[in-house]
Amino acid sequence: MRKLAVAAASLALILLVVAPLRLNGYFVNLIYITMVYVGLAYGWNIISGYAGYFSFGQITFFGIGAYATGFLINGLHWYWMVAALAGGIVALVLAGPLGYVMLRLRGPFFAMGMFGMAQTVRVLITATPATGAGAGLFLPPGSDVTSVYYWTLAVTLGAIALTLWIDGSAFGLRLQALREDEQVAGTLAVNVTREKIVAFMLSALIAGLIGGGFIYFLNYIEPDAAFSSRLDLQSVVMTVLGGVGTVWGPLVGGVVMTQIAEALWARYPQGYLIVFGGLLVALLILLPRGIVPAVRARFAAADE
Amino acid sequence: MHVVQLVVNGLLLGGVFALSALGFNIIFGVMRVVNLAHGDIVVLAALLCAYEFGTLGFNPLIVLPAAIAGGFVAGAAIYAFLLRRLPGEIASGEASSLTLTFGLSFFLVGSGLAIFGGTFRSVPFLTGALYVGAISVPEAKLLAFVTALILALLLGAFLRFTPVGCAIRATSQHVEGALACGVDIDRVKTLSFGLGTAVAAAAGTLLSMIYDLSPQMGVEFTVNAFAVVVIGGLGNYAGCFLGAMILGLADELTSYYIGANLAEAAPYVLFILVSLLRPSGLLGRRVT
Repeated sequence: MRKLAVAAASLALILLVVAPLRLNGYFVNLIYITMVYVGLAYGWNIISGYAGYFSFGQITFFGIGAYATGFLINGLHWYWMVAALAGGIVALVLAGPLGYVMLRLRGPFFAMGMFGMAQTVRVLITATPATGAGAGLFLPPGSDVTSVYYWTLAVTLGAIALTLWIDGSAFGLRLQALREDEQVAGTLAVNVTREKIVAFMLSALIAGLIGGGFIYFLNYIEPDAAFSSRLDLQSVVMTVLGGVGTVWGPLVGGVVMTQIAEALWARYPQGYLIVFGGLLVALLILLPRGIVPAVRARFAAADE
Repeated sequence: MHVVQLVVNGLLLGGVFALSALGFNIIFGVMRVVNLAHGDIVVLAALLCAYEFGTLGFNPLIVLPAAIAGGFVAGAAIYAFLLRRLPGEIASGEASSLTLTFGLSFFLVGSGLAIFGGTFRSVPFLTGALYVGAISVPEAKLLAFVTALILALLLGAFLRFTPVGCAIRATSQHVEGALACGVDIDRVKTLSFGLGTAVAAAAGTLLSMIYDLSPQMGVEFTVNAFAVVVIGGLGNYAGCFLGAMILGLADELTSYYIGANLAEAAPYVLFILVSLLRPSGLLGRRVT
């Protein structure tokens, strides 16, 4: 079973690496977008799945990463990957103080506070001429889809590796302890404030790195796209579908849902909202723990 | 514009915010559910009212009782068919009910767009104004304010003096205690969700006389109601009015002095600041 999984993963990896050399632009773009959504879902899963702080505004860091990357390319003429790396680090660093403040809120207050944070940053950027205001921030012409593809592949694989590590580490156990009961975790010598801020920063780093690639992919970014609550909804739906707080949940949910999201969003925006909103409601009632734990339970039952 | 004029506008707006927030507060108080679809119900009720006014010529005050009844049924159904069937927690605390209403919110926005389209609508009803010296009081705002106040007082009286209202208050104070006294918790929850949603629909109907609304604007009213409740203190019904007046004033003053663009962020910033600095609200006592 385990060997089979390793073989399948290696095969998938090889296919993903050679895909841009062999496939036409449409499929490369589709795989790229899938990796963006899967990566964002992994970022969300760290703070919301493992640490239990449901955030409806993690997209803030995607936008911050994108804008920071844009400034570094335009202002300092950095090579885009270096700029995107720096963009991710900017998101990580800003997440420190923001997390210190916002993570004092809990439950619905934190979720809605983060939503408000994303909206506030969006409003501020829209009102600032230096950021291109509502029209958006434009990069010098000339983008290279293949390099963005490999960048995002690396970030997403990194996010999966990070999640694998968290899942098996003492850090991951401390996060899950504070998710189950923060006060009890605190009395058991878990430094809850530090642990949850670290989780928040790692989550922000992933979103920021993906955002940095995204602005180079589009060659521009606008506030409404960079801080879109739709992307937050997508991360939540994908992770809930796959399994919140599991290693493979965001991947399974993300790959399945991206195809539906892409087919619907461009043609039927209202239909997209109805399907994604309705699906989230239905999933919570019918399959609350997600696909991955359900499949695992089925296999465990078959083994006995 | 005169400052007094801005204050008058803000307070009139606050009356309608207070009504919407009362509904949000009842649902939160009884069920500990933050209903993120609250604002979408407000907006859908407003758009429905605009539609009925535009095509059928119905007066908003005639639509109001129907909106209240429809909102009640819709809210009771949301509880009975969706929230009650949630099989416990997916991660922690209130995450699953919160996430459910998050999904419901997008579902309602999409439905609103499919039915009404993305255009802004309002009800051009009572477009005149009364003058007190140099201060103008738009008739529509005044009517919305007075109606909201009457409904809020009726709701307060219902909660205070009727046996059902007493059961609702008891449940929001202590679920196990209410259960021990023979309160049918499930029925109270259905009633409360219906009542909260009915109040949201009423607020929306009144707002349609004041605002141009489109289906995507629901989230603003959700944050608005959440902010009002947090400012006033959770479960504190009098605090709702204080919070709503503050938010109404903030809305008017920020749009005038710093521009409508930045003013959009005012409720979010107020919400975050009050949650952080005074989590029990301005009037509230500490709740655990």
